[in-house]
Amino acid sequence: MRVIHVSNLKKTFASKVAANNISFDVNKSTCVGLLGPNGAGKTTALSMLTGQCNRDLSEQTTVDIFGFDPINHSAAIKYITGIVPQVDNLDKELTVEQNLHIFSTFHGLSKKQRLLRISELLDFFDLTDRRQSPIKSLSGGMRRRLIIARAMINSPKLLILDEPTTGLDPQVRHLIWDRLHQLKRQQVTILLTTHYMEEAYEICDKIIIMHEGKIIQTGAPRELLQKQVERYVISVSQSKLLQDILPDIDQTQLRIDMTHEHSLIYCNNIEILHYITDRLPVGYAYIREANLEDLFLKITGRMINDD
Amino acid sequence: MTTNTNPLPLFWRLYSVWFRHYTVYTNHLFSNGFPPFVEPLIFLSGIGIGIGSYIIEMDGIPYIQFLASGLIVSSAMYTAAFECTYGTFIRMDFDSNYDAMLSSPISPADIIIGEIIWAGSKGMFFSSAVTLVLTIFQIIYSPYLLCIPFIGLITGMMIAGMSLIVTSFIRTISHFGFYFTGCITPMFFFSGIIFPTSRLPTFLQPIVEILPLSHIVTIARASATGTGSWSLLYDIAYCIACIALTMAIAVRRLRKRLIK
Repeated sequence: MRVIHVSNLKKTFASKVAANNISFDVNKSTCVGLLGPNGAGKTTALSMLTGQCNRDLSEQTTVDIFGFDPINHSAAIKYITGIVPQVDNLDKELTVEQNLHIFSTFHGLSKKQRLLRISELLDFFDLTDRRQSPIKSLSGGMRRRLIIARAMINSPKLLILDEPTTGLDPQVRHLIWDRLHQLKRQQVTILLTTHYMEEAYEICDKIIIMHEGKIIQTGAPRELLQKQVERYVISVSQSKLLQDILPDIDQTQLRIDMTHEHSLIYCNNIEILHYITDRLPVGYAYIREANLEDLFLKITGRMINDD
Repeated sequence: MTTNTNPLPLFWRLYSVWFRHYTVYTNHLFSNGFPPFVEPLIFLSGIGIGIGSYIIEMDGIPYIQFLASGLIVSSAMYTAAFECTYGTFIRMDFDSNYDAMLSSPISPADIIIGEIIWAGSKGMFFSSAVTLVLTIFQIIYSPYLLCIPFIGLITGMMIAGMSLIVTSFIRTISHFGFYFTGCITPMFFFSGIIFPTSRLPTFLQPIVEILPLSHIVTIARASATGTGSWSLLYDIAYCIACIALTMAIAVRRLRKRLIK
């Protein structure tokens, strides 16, 4: 069932077009990830969905979030949505519980609902023993978990997360992914932005790759990988090592992405790649399966070169 | 663009914004609540020992009483002015508190009006604290002093509205210095707090009439000395109109700042 429908969404700031005719749909209880380089327009796109940023007015644009249009129903959307911002905007002077308490009043929770919900959320995010701690004493990972907990105080149907795990250690990241999986099972619809391809691969049912305000690829992570990128890749840590080998090899099946220091050679046939690595000194190259990062570099990297 | 529908009633949204500020303020209750009780003591001892021995009477009442009734208003003015300039700017730009609020059903208008009501509450607290101290020392005593919390509220909201309009123009926090030097300090000296406005040159009189503070000082002095007249109704109406107008402008201007 479709719960978000966006078509021809546009936003022009004074000096640039932050979103250029964006269209996408999100189905209930799925997780959709917006990927793209910094400044691609991901954050702007998300904030237009909740009315935290005004879109360009146009007859062609439709935005439908659980039956509401953010132009007139921003508050109604935010009433059923949890929003995790990119920046830490907790009340630093206050404690964990006070922060959650304040947010529960913003959402109109009764005292009984509030106490129950705060305990549930602190438990869900492993923060129970931090209930009375001031924000200043929390680590980055704890703050991030608390911001997500705060966004969920209203038991949202839709959770929007802007770079939920940027700058966190692997343990916290995995904990957050685990919780997002659980939420999906509890029928929550999730929309997130990320720079971590592993994260997108791990939790997203669908990814949308954005570049310079436009959507350039959409699809399930595995399908996109199959369609867009060769299966294997050699990572070579010193590009100059390849100078002697490459002229002797048939390059028709290869795609070479070479920078000054580091090179990536893509190919569907692993035999050819073995042939290359056998001719390189040990420790300077290794073969791996191509991943979303390769897809991302291919798509957005080429766009930059085209400019 | 406005938010036409909201699942939560307006009073609740305003209360929740107020509650956020209240929680942060009372979190450091001692350091935040102490000054309004001490400041009048310092002020009055300075006057009592110093100026008081030179100036005995002003406008027909003892000078210490004249000044004390002005102090009730100026304390509310300063707290509201700081709250809605530096305080608002920090919440808006440095700490992103407003962005956090906007990720809930709270609208930009709720935030701005809530801010004004909060500054009014602080004005109420400051005026009441000052009055309490002044009454304990028997400098002012009148049954009409029961109006003082209300006067503090009006002063706070009025100055808050003005200050938020100024804040809506400010891009760099240091620019608030112009507002304090160019607006708040002159209001302190020329609104009848230190000396009666009738002493000012005739050409300045109309300007003072426009200054919202002179009206509330008139009201405060009347309630401190227990000498009222019907013309006070005009002063009250002027102050309320001033709040409504500045609030409307502040909401219009800051909404654009909060939602791009």
